[in-house]
Amino acid sequence: MRLKILTVDDSKTVRIIVKKSFKGFDCEITEAQNGVEGLAMAAKVTPDIILLDITMPVMDGVEMLTKLKSDPALKAIPVIMLTAEAGRENVMKIAKIGVRDYIVKPFKENVLVDKVSRVVDLRPMGEAAPIQKKIDDPIDILVVDDKPAIISQITEGFGHTPWNVKGVASTGEAIDFCQKKLPDCIIISLSLPEDAAITLFRIIRSNAKTKYVPLFGLSVKTAVEEQARAQQAGFSTIIHKPIDFEELETKIGKAVNLDSSGKYFQMGEGFMTVRLPKTCNASVVNEVSSYLKDKTSEAVNAGISKIIFDAQNVASLNMDVIKLLLTSMKTCRDLSLKYALTGNQAVIEESKKFEESKDWKFCDTVENAKASI
Amino acid sequence: MQQTFPISDDELQSLAKNAIDSVFSTMLERTANIKEVIKIEEDTHSEGMQLPVDSNTPMIAGTVGFIGNLTGIIYIFMELPLAMEATCKLLDMEDGDIGSEDHELVNDAIGELTNMIVGTFKNDLSNKGYECRMTIPSILRGSNFSIEPAEVALRRIFKFDCDGRSFVIDVLMKEEN
Repeated sequence: MRLKILTVDDSKTVRIIVKKSFKGFDCEITEAQNGVEGLAMAAKVTPDIILLDITMPVMDGVEMLTKLKSDPALKAIPVIMLTAEAGRENVMKIAKIGVRDYIVKPFKENVLVDKVSRVVDLRPMGEAAPIQKKIDDPIDILVVDDKPAIISQITEGFGHTPWNVKGVASTGEAIDFCQKKLPDCIIISLSLPEDAAITLFRIIRSNAKTKYVPLFGLSVKTAVEEQARAQQAGFSTIIHKPIDFEELETKIGKAVNLDSSGKYFQMGEGFMTVRLPKTCNASVVNEVSSYLKDKTSEAVNAGISKIIFDAQNVASLNMDVIKLLLTSMKTCRDLSLKYALTGNQAVIEESKKFEESKDWKFCDTVENAKASI
Repeated sequence: MQQTFPISDDELQSLAKNAIDSVFSTMLERTANIKEVIKIEEDTHSEGMQLPVDSNTPMIAGTVGFIGNLTGIIYIFMELPLAMEATCKLLDMEDGDIGSEDHELVNDAIGELTNMIVGTFKNDLSNKGYECRMTIPSILRGSNFSIEPAEVALRRIFKFDCDGRSFVIDVLMKEEN
């Protein structure tokens, strides 16, 4: 999958410079000329990284960054500020809102490329991407925590997956482990003594072999200061204790770029079933949406013409799920595919409360849904 | 009565030189040297001051303001051929790629160069304890420019030479109470 970079700058010159800086890399550049366009473009293309100017007409970069960070669907997108405004007051302000880095204009193109490649996996054009692993393939997760109970908890939390969890207590052991075997993902406790988490982060990011390994910080939710320091050092994802394993699994899947479509899409006997999980938050809906088009094409190419949207496990029908189902059903109608819905009693009751879904007909089992179309 | 300005002439010249050096070497791979410094006192030239450039040469002027402890405006007046060369270098284009009517492209490039120069100038001011914010750049084209400043405490004009081509930085600023 090509890397998507969004450049938001009112200067066409800067947008052209950004484009030519990444000419030799496997990435797609989209542009916006102010914060309003930037937010719309971010929602449309879900970029892997945003390069954001500060001083712009209509909506400036600070306002766009604030809005981006308050949007659950967009807040995880890393942002690098690219700006002529580098005063201490400005830097403090944007650091508080949450940026991964900032580049002061004037800048050399290689500095831009270097800073971006520290945050996302930037590959030269033509270099083969690694074979994408699936959600049920084994991956190696390294946990760096001096509390054995946490390592045991994480090992048990992923007990239902084929993922291998290796726990170490110190940065030294972590570095030794990475020399012998490159993990797919590293979780570092932010409460390690003497800011060891930040030291380890810098060592991992400055090593050519490990610089692209996804890193997660692990912290008690209330340890705000520790988290702010980690974010300033460059940690983009922080996992809160007590750990929500469903959420962590989704985040690791995304960071490691695992193909998790198997969790939601099954094909067989002339049907494609889209199975929605119990917790259907914005992040899950986004994940399902990102696979929907390709999976529907795959189904059509395999001669499948009937789709079941299975919401029997869904705990609560929110607007995100309704939008997903509306889009999916429209796609089915556009492609002349037959479809049916299943849902539990709570989902059926909740669907009646929304104008968009009040007339939906649900079946109580997948078998009945299959028989109905 | 003349207001005492908190930044000396030497410091101001150094700020201007540093801003030009930084932007020209990083973005254009060129150097520029100060050829002339004109000091204008508050009570003179209220009717407008002719810039130290050939009045018949077509010019492009970029301007960015800054507001804060120090408030002011900086104009960069550049001979059109130099502006075209700078645009080509910035955008990785050949001389012939930019048409004489391609105003938008050159305007935007010079606007951005001005933004970077004033940004560097302003960031150095911030490091000296004068916090300010910048405005959005704007561009003027024409020849025979003269500036009639509003109320300013200090105005300095620096004429630069870049490989035989001239450009001028006109700094107008005052300290806010």
